[in-house]
Amino acid sequence: MRRRGVLGGVVVAMVAAAGGAAWRFHLFGPHYPPTPYDDLLNQITDRAPARVVGGAALKTMPGANAASLAGMLRGQGSLAAAAASDPAKDRVTEVSGWVVPESVARYAALAAAV
Amino acid sequence: MSAFLDARALPKDTVLTPDLAIIGGGPAGISLALALADSGLNILLLESGSMTFEPPTQSLYQGSETGVSYVPLESGRLRYLGGSTNHWGGWCRPLDEIDFENRDWVPHSGWPFARKEIEPYFARAQELVEAGPWVYDAADGAVSDSGPVLKLGEGGIYTSWFQFSKTKNGILPTHFGERYQGELKRAARVTTLLNANVTGIRLSHDGSQVDHLDVATLSGNRLTVKPRHAVLAAGAIECARILLASDDVMKTGVGNGNDLVGRFFADHPIPRNVATLVLFDGHCAPFYSNFLTLPNGAVMRAGLSPRAQFLKSHGVVGSLTTVENEVKLDPFATAAVETTAEALGVDASRARAFSLGCGMELLPDPERRLTLSGERDALGMPRLNLAMTITDDDFARFRLTLAELGRQLLAARTGMIHLSYNTRAEWLKAMDWGNHHLGTTRMHVDPKRGVVDADSKVHGVGNLYVAGSSVFPTYGSSNPTMNLVALTLRLGDHLKKVMA
Repeated sequence: MRRRGVLGGVVVAMVAAAGGAAWRFHLFGPHYPPTPYDDLLNQITDRAPARVVGGAALKTMPGANAASLAGMLRGQGSLAAAAASDPAKDRVTEVSGWVVPESVARYAALAAAV
Repeated sequence: MSAFLDARALPKDTVLTPDLAIIGGGPAGISLALALADSGLNILLLESGSMTFEPPTQSLYQGSETGVSYVPLESGRLRYLGGSTNHWGGWCRPLDEIDFENRDWVPHSGWPFARKEIEPYFARAQELVEAGPWVYDAADGAVSDSGPVLKLGEGGIYTSWFQFSKTKNGILPTHFGERYQGELKRAARVTTLLNANVTGIRLSHDGSQVDHLDVATLSGNRLTVKPRHAVLAAGAIECARILLASDDVMKTGVGNGNDLVGRFFADHPIPRNVATLVLFDGHCAPFYSNFLTLPNGAVMRAGLSPRAQFLKSHGVVGSLTTVENEVKLDPFATAAVETTAEALGVDASRARAFSLGCGMELLPDPERRLTLSGERDALGMPRLNLAMTITDDDFARFRLTLAELGRQLLAARTGMIHLSYNTRAEWLKAMDWGNHHLGTTRMHVDPKRGVVDADSKVHGVGNLYVAGSSVFPTYGSSNPTMNLVALTLRLGDHLKKVMA
């Protein structure tokens, strides 16, 4: 009984660890070729919709490229924190008519630019 | 002398001598007649039409238009007893305090008095339009059972409330003619003269007083009315026409010594589908898009309005944004919602989208004006031409207000919006109008800046007044009817004093 319980516990722990790893490293999500900007882009689970938005956002950012966008974004903390605080700081912009946080537009533009 | 009479049946060249002649049997004219019914004054209410819609009478409204496409002049109003309440939507909301203020970012703004001047008349006006108990923005605390108001981040937009006119035992807005014909008939000193078109206001030789009114019927009868005082209450278009056409003594028209009659015409543009609102949790309380009847009987609907502070800080004017219909998102919109919601850490798997409508205030524009045209109607009166304008600035200021709503939705992680129009062509293609005619006999203490004074008396003419929304210098986003009734009741009190 005790051995069975220990084995059960080990199995649960392994499953949990595998699940955690899958979540952490997006094992079951979309996979993307490595880029120099994955420290930023890995904050976006699914880059496909971000690229759609980013393509439009890039048109409103003359001269912007992946390197310049990454340079801006690396200094401003996480996407989640920036997106949450941007509106209160009046940092919103329009992307094809959609009012979005500036950070969202920039991350999306980066996704489209790489 | 209380009665409903037909001007066509009176002997030709009859001369009537009431104390007060009210020209126009719409909400202003009827409200004024009822307010003065027990004053001891003999009142003659002159209505161009009869009790029902009749095309020959309605066609007297025809005119021409230039400039921005607008509703045909004969379509946006109705010419029979009750006037345009015969087709109004019943929307009611008092003007905001800031609507009365002189604002440096709104040229030609500023009423001669603050809102508190007409506040004492709101309760009776609310009764006359049958909009139920006075609730308005106190509704926030009364609607919790029906769902929460939209959660918005701190900022310039808030949930505002309109109430609706509702006849007793019915669902339609109050049609003043039908609703109040009984009271008018019972009023011992009020005579309602139907089919009586005022075709001219004839002044004394020195132009200081109304001497008499020319009245004509489509059947060919001609009458004369010699009142002690007269009130023009024929709507912002017809008031201007009658004043401009009465040019025998004052060659530019009665009250038009400073070329202001007919200028500053205004309306609420209501371009359709101005934006798309996405709510991440998919929940929009039904009172944003439908009527909500409170236990006390008040019929409410919520909209989204700019706060006074936002108007000041961003240099915009009044507007109302309304939630209309649920809509589907296209692939780009879906991508925008998914990307933004994920960044905000919000689940948008049940997001729903709604089209937004609006009502905008226009900046006062003296070139948006009515002038007499060379055409004449069946009574020989000159017809009007409307030169309609709407500027890119009008659109841009409202767009700022919509963007602020979008910012606040994001700040609260409630949702987001898409602004539909960017170019003038896009705005104009979506354009519709509220048919709220305003501004053509604007109120100002200075005769060089207004047609009527703070008492609604025509500058320079001792016994001629104007009632109705034509005297509004600015008008916010509130529908005019309840407000013009309140202002008319104030005029009634003034007339009681000066005519006693």
